[in-house]
Amino acid sequence: MSQYQGANGKYIGVNLDLSTVKLKDVIDIDFLQRFQDDFAKGVGLASVTVDPDGTPITNPSSYTRFCMDYTHSTECGDKRCAESHRKGGEEAARTGKPVIYECHAGLIDFAAPIMLEGRQIGTILGGQVLTDVPIDAKYRKIANEIGVDEDGYVEAVQEIRKLSRESIEAAANVLFIVANSMSTTAYQQRKLKAVTNTLNDGLGQISATMEQLAASATDISNNQSNLNHEIKNVNAVTGKIDAVMDFIKDIADETRLLGLNAAIEAARAGEAGLGFGVVAQEIRKLSADSKETVGKIKELTTSIKESVDKTVTMGNETTSTIEQQAAAIEQVTASVMEIAILTEQLNDLTNAQ
Amino acid sequence: MSIQLVVFELDNKEYGVNVSAVNGILRARKFKVQALPGTDKSIEGMINLRGDVNYIFNLRTKFDLLEKEISSESKFIMLNVNGAATGCLVDEVTDIVKLNDEEIQSVPDFLSVGTTKYITGIGKLEDRMIIILDPGKIFAKEYANLQNSVSN
Repeated sequence: MSQYQGANGKYIGVNLDLSTVKLKDVIDIDFLQRFQDDFAKGVGLASVTVDPDGTPITNPSSYTRFCMDYTHSTECGDKRCAESHRKGGEEAARTGKPVIYECHAGLIDFAAPIMLEGRQIGTILGGQVLTDVPIDAKYRKIANEIGVDEDGYVEAVQEIRKLSRESIEAAANVLFIVANSMSTTAYQQRKLKAVTNTLNDGLGQISATMEQLAASATDISNNQSNLNHEIKNVNAVTGKIDAVMDFIKDIADETRLLGLNAAIEAARAGEAGLGFGVVAQEIRKLSADSKETVGKIKELTTSIKESVDKTVTMGNETTSTIEQQAAAIEQVTASVMEIAILTEQLNDLTNAQ
Repeated sequence: MSIQLVVFELDNKEYGVNVSAVNGILRARKFKVQALPGTDKSIEGMINLRGDVNYIFNLRTKFDLLEKEISSESKFIMLNVNGAATGCLVDEVTDIVKLNDEEIQSVPDFLSVGTTKYITGIGKLEDRMIIILDPGKIFAKEYANLQNSVSN
């Protein structure tokens, strides 16, 4: 059968191994038997179906006395019959079409191959008829060769039905067409079933994967909301740092004022306040440094806040992407369910036939 | 000789008053200023400083500068004028500097008349120019009016 290449380069599809397919695998033998019996009776010729080795798969239909009671009755006759069948079968297999030939015992037989994808899986043999009036001498000779009673043999050959070559060809064709159609249909049926099974397996895997995806989407969503929560904490802490910084700035302002007032006192004290004035100046410097540091820290907390805000925005985007993904997963899951139902129906159809 | 100035800012311009006239500096935000109705516009109001009532003058109003809300930087410079502590609202007190006589340029006569006679000189400190004010004269008129209205 044909193969299809999947997206990942893997060959997908169903490949039934034809080398092991037997005729009875693709054709309901009971049905074939009934058909063969009725056909043989209706048309008036014998028929049997054999596998490629020549082993009969059906019971013989409408076998003649000539064949059953005489030709097959001796080991030599039976062997010659099998050899004759084998030759006919081989010729049929070689041409792929029904072959009409004269058997070792002088009767007209046909062999119709049952083909499956170009390979022979069996042969419908039939015939045991004559196109002309039999010549006694010919059958006496054969009777001697295979070791049966000459008179009985000649009498039996007289009972053989006479059919025109066209009728034999037509009968052979009918059997050929019906048997091949049956085997092809049955084979397609098997392929369809195999495809359905593969489809079912694939759908099962998709369903399982979708479930995992849905579960991981939930995990991601939870993680993201935890992350958002933590980020908000960072924002709150930053706000607290800012409040502390405001307090420190306030202290720095107070310190500076203290320094200024100390400097004023020192100045007013004149010479006595000189040393104190230096201390006052140092205090002012320290307060200025503190204030500058507060400013730098505030810049840092501002940049933290900006980063946090960006992170929150991105987090929200991620959350909405996850939501979209979850929705997509749900849609795919729904579609897979629909396909699964169709596959089930397909499976029921293949089983029903 | 040298003098020390308390330097403050109004609209980023520097002014100075002699440190000997300054009692101290207060953060304006820390005090509740109660307005005095019917007084000069330059009088911001009064504050209660450790149990004493001190009057606060607004230098911005006095100098016809745009009105400005009291901020965290705003200060009262407490001046010792005529034996009474009087506050002066300024944008910010920035520095205390020491100026030698040669660093102080007296103002020409055409500036020292009328309303501007409270400018005693210009302090020059590198590129900086500090307008030196006479605390006793700036609000002399307002102070006199105020004393009248209070006593009446």
